[in-house]
Amino acid sequence: MRDFFRRILLVDLLQGLWLTLRYTPQPAFTFQYPAERRPVAARFRGVLRLQVEPETGAQTCIVCDQCARVCPDDLIALGGHREPGQKIKVLDYFDFNLSRCSFCGLCAEVCPTKPIKALIMSEDYELGSYSRATQVMRIDEMYDGVPIEAYRR
Amino acid sequence: MGLIEHRFEDNFITANLDKVLNWARQSSLWPMGFGLACCAIEMMAASASRYDIARFGAEVFRASPRQADLLIVAGTVTKKMAPVLRRLYDQMPEPKWVISMGACSNAGGPFPTYSVLQGVDKIVPVDVYVTGCPPRPEALLYGLMRLQDKIRRESTVLRRPAVDAVQRPGSPSAETSRR
Repeated sequence: MRDFFRRILLVDLLQGLWLTLRYTPQPAFTFQYPAERRPVAARFRGVLRLQVEPETGAQTCIVCDQCARVCPDDLIALGGHREPGQKIKVLDYFDFNLSRCSFCGLCAEVCPTKPIKALIMSEDYELGSYSRATQVMRIDEMYDGVPIEAYRR
Repeated sequence: MGLIEHRFEDNFITANLDKVLNWARQSSLWPMGFGLACCAIEMMAASASRYDIARFGAEVFRASPRQADLLIVAGTVTKKMAPVLRRLYDQMPEPKWVISMGACSNAGGPFPTYSVLQGVDKIVPVDVYVTGCPPRPEALLYGLMRLQDKIRRESTVLRRPAVDAVQRPGSPSAETSRR
């Protein structure tokens, strides 16, 4: 009689599944990615970005070439010239090959400018592109960031 | 389509065959994850519950190339592994796409050595390059969405001029409907 009830009420099945059933009424913790993004850590190493002075928009990079020298893969190439009469150099070009970057952060760590660093690692990580040519970033993209498609759904 | 649109009752839907095909293909990409190194962990994280890749239709990661239509190359491809990768790519039936995930499969990564293939696009045609080391699972999902955009712009049935359509690299030349 007891066996009959056990089989009718599926007691064994419920005993095996009780862990799963305990999780079922709890809310799912999936991040619906394009609609909501997970907040990244404060020290997150995203793609490189050149910064400008926040008030004046002036150039902060002093073209010391340290980032290019410290990169383990030689992905950065930059150059500038010195205006006659000025002390600081003007940044002409800053080429950064994104395809090989391993995001180690050495270039941003070694940048000596104060109070805000010229080269930082931003919080962007959405870097999908259709060809390798678009992965070499020139100086405009270094200041403004990689143009990304804003998906909402 | 202008001839038959709005001519029927409300429970008839008219659509472009290309659009229906592209929608079907982009919404049910079945990946064959070719996880070789650390990027494979992020690919697994993307298919776990926090960033669910099943929401994009890529639910089943087929183990066999014959049943998959998306090859995600995740990790360092060495020269020893390269013929194997090419063979698996050839075994996939058309239509097929390739996502190159991570710095190592994009361009060799931090290993410019004699044994690492400097970029997987030397042996297979790549559709989307996802950069990162390793790319975050959201970045992989972003790359997947960009691939879905690319598929949406394809033209299979209708022959469009080259400006509009996306030329799919690697298709055999006998297949003229996709040019």
